[in-house]
Parts: sequence; C-alpha cells; structure tokens
Amino acid sequence: MQAFIQGVGTSLFGKQPELSSAQLVWSAVAEAMQDAECTKVDAVFVGTCFGEPGTAQRSLHRIGLVGVPISVYENACASSTQAFHEACVAVDSGRFGSVLVLGVEHLTSRFSGAIPVEQRDHEGRTGLALPALYAMSAARYQKLWGLTDEQLAAVSVKNHAHGMLNSRAQHRVAVSSEEVLASRMIADPLTLLQCCSIADGAGACVISSAQTSSRDVRVRSSAFQTGRLWNHESEHVWGYQLVKDTATSAYEKAGIGIEDVNVLEVHDAFTIGEIVTTEALGMAEEGGGGELVASGRTTLGGAQPVNPSGGLLSRGHPLGATGTAQVAEVVWQLRGEARARQVPDARVGVVETMGGGAAGVDGNACVVAVLTI
Amino acid sequence: MNDLERFPDPRSMTHTDEAGETRLRGWRCEECSMALALESPWCPRCLGTLREVQFGPFGTVWSSTVVRIPLPGRTPPYGLLYVDLDDGPRVLGHLATLVPTQVAIGEKVRLVANTELGDLAFEIV
Repeated sequence: MQAFIQGVGTSLFGKQPELSSAQLVWSAVAEAMQDAECTKVDAVFVGTCFGEPGTAQRSLHRIGLVGVPISVYENACASSTQAFHEACVAVDSGRFGSVLVLGVEHLTSRFSGAIPVEQRDHEGRTGLALPALYAMSAARYQKLWGLTDEQLAAVSVKNHAHGMLNSRAQHRVAVSSEEVLASRMIADPLTLLQCCSIADGAGACVISSAQTSSRDVRVRSSAFQTGRLWNHESEHVWGYQLVKDTATSAYEKAGIGIEDVNVLEVHDAFTIGEIVTTEALGMAEEGGGGELVASGRTTLGGAQPVNPSGGLLSRGHPLGATGTAQVAEVVWQLRGEARARQVPDARVGVVETMGGGAAGVDGNACVVAVLTI
Repeated sequence: MNDLERFPDPRSMTHTDEAGETRLRGWRCEECSMALALESPWCPRCLGTLREVQFGPFGTVWSSTVVRIPLPGRTPPYGLLYVDLDDGPRVLGHLATLVPTQVAIGEKVRLVANTELGDLAFEIV
C-alpha cells in the first residue's frame, strides 16, 4: 500500500462540556496539519458515531477547510479508524493525493451516564448494555479458560499506569488490582475501573500518497471487515473471529507476522476486550490472554507493549475520535516522539479498533492497520 | 415506555403451547436447517426458504451476567443470559428471579414467559 501518515494531532481527551465539537476539531486538525507541514488537502474523511449531522462541516468551514469533498463514516467505535482506512485506500488508488482524516465525538452533550442501548436492536431492547455483552464474554472466559478476576484487573492496572505518562489522557491516576476489583460492579464480573468512560475529544491525521519526509510513517497495510453471523454456531466469544480475520488479512498484506510488531494500540473498551483482542491478534493462544497481560509482556518495558497511550480505559473513549488517537499514538511511537512512554526502537506498530452494537453479527466493523517507519 | 411504541418491537415472540409450555416463535431454513429467532426474508446463511417453527422451552446457558447500572426504562439489578435453545438458536433473555445472580454456564434453563417489559424470561430447571 502506498500511503503515508505525514502528520497527527489530537485534542485533550476527557469530559469537556465547556468546549464545542468545533473547538476540539480545531485543536486536533491544527496540530496534525502543522505536523504534516501542509495547509490544504484534497479531501476530508470523517469518523463520528453520535455526532449530529453536519458536525464536520460546521467545524471545518471556520478554519478554511472548504471546497473539498467531505465524507462521513459511522461504524461505532471504529468510525474514525474506518475513515483512516478509507483515506489510505483512496490515496493508494490515486483518487486523492492527500486526505485529512478527522475523528470527533462530544459525548457529554449527548449522554450523562452510560451510552444508552439502541432500542431498535432486539438485544438492546432486551436491556443489553455493551458492558453486559463484554461481561458475558468475560464470564465465558472464566469458565472455559480459568481467566481470573486478577488477570482481568491487570489490564486496567497496566493501562492506567501507561495513561499516567500521557498528558492528553482522561484518567491520569494509578490504580491497584485491589482498587479495580473493589470498584463498583457494573455487569458481573466487570467492575467500574474495567470499563471505559464517556469522553469528548477529536483526533486527526494527514494521509498522503507520497513520502516527503523521513518522519512520515508508512501504512504498510490496512484491513477492514464487518463480522460474520454471531449465533449458536459461533465457536468463539463475540468479536474474536472478526478481529482474527481482519488481523490475518492485515498481516498478509503487510508481509509481517505478529512477532515482528513492537507496539500496539488496541480496543480495550473493557478489560476483557483487550484480553480477547490480544489473543485474536496472535499474541497468545485462545485462552492465554489473561496470562499474557499478567506476564508483563504487554506492559511498557515488556517485549510488546499494548496500549502505551493508556488505551480507551485511561485515555478515554470518545467513540469517533478513538481511532485517530490510536493512529496518533503509534505514529509518535514509531517516530520516537512518545517521550516518557516511548517503546525503545519501535519500528512496526499495529492499530486495531473494534466497533459493535448490532446484535447477530460478530462486530459492526473491525480495522487493523500495520504501520512502519 | 410509550416512546418505544413508535417503532415495531424488535424482540422475539413467545406463546404457550397445548402442554402449557412457553415456546419461542422461530424459523428454520428448509435447505440448511439454520435455526433463527428473528424473522428474515430468507436464510442469511444459504438464502434458502424459511418456515416458521417453535423452539424451547429448554436450553443451555451460554453465559450470563447481572446488569447493575441504570438504563432508561429498566430497574437494576437484573440478570441477563444468553441461552442456546435445544436444537435452536441462541437468544438473550432475563433471569426470572427477584434476586438476580450469575447463572452457571452450562446450566439447564426453561423459557417461562415474556416479562412485564416484554423480554424473554428463563428459570433454572
């Protein structure tokens, strides 16, 4: 794939009701375009989930980004990761020379607590909040593979420790395993500190068909799929097969294996999510994700750090902004610009985002991208 | 719940058979035998013709949880479980007890009725 990330930027992440979506967008876009040393692009691809119609145009016309095609993608948590994927495909195919990818979400202006479930969905109408879906995966893992509460908590402890080093993260506080497990139960066995919280934020990156600087990060491959049917015939917990299939495709296109990857940003909306995802990405056998995180291999200082940014659990999860923030973190890591949370000599990075919410399919969308420098 | 009546209820339906058991209204593909809990115009797996059948009342717990956060129109805590109906589809239902608990995976359960809120409900056999 001929696609290069020339610049990245994000707003601060967290509950920022005092800021408008536009203000969040401006800070992310300004940083990304300054980073890319560019003042214009051929198109803008936007990812947002709950953003009101016209969110991007309302923000972008006030910074002069007008007169180019602006496309909007919605795929739940993977909205802006899909926008990123589409931008990479667009420059690779020659449709555009450069594309600005924008992810934005202003959840505090929409919801006060947990994101309400979609009442037009048969499982949503039955009261299945997303924490409950993940909780049932966790319960299944505890039964099948002996996953322990402490191993689940280890994901939260690790990602909060990483987030302490990220000045843009929502939750910059260290938590102990005891604190994670003693926090309020949300959906058994998942406690509050194992669930990401709602946030406001924006992220952006500039994708180009040509490399113009040694700082440009190459998109070696990007794969994007929607899940197959998820039902009584499915062999795995929700989402596992989709992430595995998407990752397999991305690795094949990039000509790499998981053993070549130095750093990963993955979808850890809930602790069990990171455990299942790291398995599906090939970092552990199925059922081995709990031991993987407990071993320290995925902690900063370990062999393959996962979510050095703090992940969704610590950085926060403004849905549509998450993918662009994941891309930004991997770009900083590969350039050696990640400061206190730098993974030494990171040359190959992976971004993975999973979006869900439609009952009956193994995920609305998953994107896996392989980035190199 | 009036605001929910603006669109069709997307959940599965049940009825009581002659033996007094609660059964799920479902569909099975005449070509590949795929079991479905939701109406579809054709089989999503092989595009075959579907015929209406009854599933349940017995099934096996695939997983379960207790939801302890408030959602609009719901009073926590409540038990949720995925049940693989015998020779049938996987469905999501509520645990029909006053004090919800996590039901053991593999436990046998029986479809008892729709709850007051219209959800599928199960009791441990």
